[in-house]
Amino acid sequence: MIILIEDITAVLVYGSIQGCIYALLALGFSLVYGVGGVLNQAHGALYLVTAYLYYTFYTIFHEISAELDFVGMMIGMIVGLIAVAFVAAFIYLALIKPLKQSHVGVVIVTFAFAFFMEQLINVIFGVEYQSVPFLIDGYFYIFSIPVYYHYVLIIIATVIIVILTMLFINRTKLGKSIRAVAQDEEAASLMGINVDRILTYTLVISGVLAGVAAILYVPIDVITPHAGWAILLNSFAIVVLGGLGSLSGSVVGAFIYAYAITFTNIFIDPILSAIIPFIVIIVMLIVRPRGIFGKKEIK
Amino acid sequence: MVGKKSLTSRFSSYFIDWIHTFKGQLTLVCLVGLCLIPLVVQDAYNLGIFVWFMVLAIFAASWDFLAGFVGQVSFGHAIFLGLGGYVTAYLVRYGIPYLDWDDGLWYHTGPLPWWVSLFTGAIIAVVMGLIIGVPALRLRGPYLALGTLAMSLILYQVFLMGTLADWWEATFGTKLFGSNGVTLIGNPISTNPIIEYFIILLIMCISFIALIQITKSKAGTLFKAIRDDETGTRASGINVTKYKVIAFMISGFFAGLAGGLFAMHFRGVNPGVYQPLYSFYAIIVAALGGIATISGAGLGAFIFVFIGELINTITSIFSGVAPNLVYFSLLTFSIILICFIRFFEHGILNWALEHLKDAWDFLLGR
Repeated sequence: MIILIEDITAVLVYGSIQGCIYALLALGFSLVYGVGGVLNQAHGALYLVTAYLYYTFYTIFHEISAELDFVGMMIGMIVGLIAVAFVAAFIYLALIKPLKQSHVGVVIVTFAFAFFMEQLINVIFGVEYQSVPFLIDGYFYIFSIPVYYHYVLIIIATVIIVILTMLFINRTKLGKSIRAVAQDEEAASLMGINVDRILTYTLVISGVLAGVAAILYVPIDVITPHAGWAILLNSFAIVVLGGLGSLSGSVVGAFIYAYAITFTNIFIDPILSAIIPFIVIIVMLIVRPRGIFGKKEIK
Repeated sequence: MVGKKSLTSRFSSYFIDWIHTFKGQLTLVCLVGLCLIPLVVQDAYNLGIFVWFMVLAIFAASWDFLAGFVGQVSFGHAIFLGLGGYVTAYLVRYGIPYLDWDDGLWYHTGPLPWWVSLFTGAIIAVVMGLIIGVPALRLRGPYLALGTLAMSLILYQVFLMGTLADWWEATFGTKLFGSNGVTLIGNPISTNPIIEYFIILLIMCISFIALIQITKSKAGTLFKAIRDDETGTRASGINVTKYKVIAFMISGFFAGLAGGLFAMHFRGVNPGVYQPLYSFYAIIVAALGGIATISGAGLGAFIFVFIGELINTITSIFSGVAPNLVYFSLLTFSIILICFIRFFEHGILNWALEHLKDAWDFLLGR
């Protein structure tokens, strides 16, 4: 088989883009699991909140005048991120907090919330596909593979946001209390940390990360009401690969996962690319259940 | 000297004791109620709703057995549902494939009776339980949940795959894979919907009795010990590995049975049965009723199916006014679901039992 340089470039370009988006999504998912021990099934719903608000404001301003597109996108971005923060806080305070004692209860209630969000969007927007154009137009070529400026924007934005999140967790006082809660909830509350507030913040951070991923990814992909489930499954898969609760693991895992998918897509068979991630998960779970960067102890 | 008594007299004394308890009387009332349903409802559509409720109850009970009594939370219970359904549907439609050595082609024995297919499907699900149980022993808690979820997704993709469907059709001459799945035309359980209803009711009762008796047996005690303290159980000299695999197989058998009934009831299966949605149906239904109470799955399924059906009926009345109302029904359904899960933390069954007991005692004049 002749391996073309175009194919390799395509794997690198598309894999990096996918990896960036997955990294943002998995980072938030992993943070919530690592700190609160909560498997948040509504992670995809958080993505949908921002995605649809972004789309709504874009269409409202687009219908007024095509020149106002950029304004609409900016307002959509801000409103979408603020809204997702409130929704995430609501999920924690109203649904997860009262049921925190039972793991199954949390899983089911967040699942039901994700289902609710899907139906709400069905009612408001309908089941049709929706799309939003790129924030910045134009593209250039690398070995005859078109690279849109939007792709560059995704990579830059992701790098900045991941670094900011890491700095926030590792350098600030609030980040220190988040780490304290992750280590030992009871001891942290004895030290005067309000555990519920910290967990609310964690869910808000995770929601905003998912929202940023939505804003960046919506122009490439289309949005549908059921898109949340794919987001959730991919986040799950990556977090297992990287190690449940490990932040650096989920970022590295996201890129491995994304390159594996694009590689299978381009070099082997697009049909197989749907299965390979799950085979990776099962092999990973059997060979090394704690993931690549997972902590040693498993509850 | 229990051993000297005959099995029937032991059973009857157990039954008489049971009938004197509050739970026994309540169960009997529910059973009589279910038996009387065909007097009121006779058309196939409405009886079908009851059949779907019973299938879901068996499925959720099998999940509840594994999660509530053995502590192995699976997010991929649809694996068993799908396998049981596929095997049953295939055997009912085509029969067992065999290789004719003379011309090297594959032939089928022809349609098998539904009950043979149903039990073969359940047995295949048991084998799958063995296959899943062995690697699952290495995994605990969320890792097991994710592993089973991934496995159900692999099966979903495999059964959906077009290339595999083409290969299977070219080799065996029948359709098994592909997006259409297996559709059933002939051999229903019974052409009379009332007889079908009673057969499935009987299967449901037997499944529930079997599952409850297993949890009360010696093995059931060991299962609960594994759930509460695995290391301690192992230290007491009990082969935890063996019992975990057995639990997976038992749960697989009943989920496979539910899958077979599902396929018979909906006249076919498609790869959609492997979707995580069905796994979550089992979890939601079991949690609605109350986890670690097998009969809670029955109540949960009843509430789950009939609230959905009630909302459907209400919206269909108003559907002339607003055609978009079908999504509103699902929206309302999801809100009710969230409220139930949020406010009945330990399941509806336990709550209902507490409150019904007083009313029951009052009625009997105790």
